[in-house]
Amino acid sequence: MKGMSLIVKTIGSWVKMLIFVFGVYIVLFGHLTPGGGFAGGVILASSYILLMLAFGKEQAQKNLPLSLVSRLDCLGAILFVFIAVIGLAFGGAFFVNFLHRQYWPGEPFALISAGIIPLSNIVIGLKVGASLFMVVFILSIFRPESPGDKKE
Amino acid sequence: MPYALCFLLFMIGLYCAVVKKNMVKIVIGIMIMEYAVNLMLVMLGYHFGGVMPIVERDQMISADGQIAASFISASVDPLPQALVLTAIVISLGSLALLISICIRTYERYGTFDITDIRRLKG
Repeated sequence: MKGMSLIVKTIGSWVKMLIFVFGVYIVLFGHLTPGGGFAGGVILASSYILLMLAFGKEQAQKNLPLSLVSRLDCLGAILFVFIAVIGLAFGGAFFVNFLHRQYWPGEPFALISAGIIPLSNIVIGLKVGASLFMVVFILSIFRPESPGDKKE
Repeated sequence: MPYALCFLLFMIGLYCAVVKKNMVKIVIGIMIMEYAVNLMLVMLGYHFGGVMPIVERDQMISADGQIAASFISASVDPLPQALVLTAIVISLGSLALLISICIRTYERYGTFDITDIRRLKG
């Protein structure tokens, strides 16, 4: 259980940062191009899943411990609710785009525009990436020692 | 005609979920059913020759920030796509739950065959 062969390890170590940066791009440009928080989060998680498949669970755990992933997951959910409640406090309705309406209209098709939509995309990307990596990691953890042993 | 093919895909998934005895094949059948429903919802919003419902820079009349009327008539309906995106997220969660149930059952019984899993014992 020390990971795959040398070819997979070498190519994976080259490719993993490219996949991660592509995921960050999809998340950040989610309000301008196809993509967004969910798709970018899946790509972010898949970079770490590639790391886990190529180098083994221990290396992935050293790189991104499960407690940190769990905290990032909770942080994403809390920040998403926080953005929504800020809209309730400043704009008068839940999830209202107060930043776009009142404070920072922004230029259309600029990267920093559209108010709270990029912020929501970033938070959703964090949440989806962390939780999807955690799902795959936890599914790979429990493995039957000897199947059929507990029968009868 | 495409809706009939969607229905056929749904029926293939239903057959797989009902007839097969392997738990993993049942999960695959349920997923095929979900994808058939998603495909039908996406095709409800499509019309022939439609463009993607994302406003580019040249489709916007720059004076007052209005979107051109030709773009609105040409683009496909974005509402079923947003609905399907949510449905994909929920199907991802239910898939993780089903797979974990399969793994736990295999850990306890040592088989995926549902005709062998009959003991009502915790």
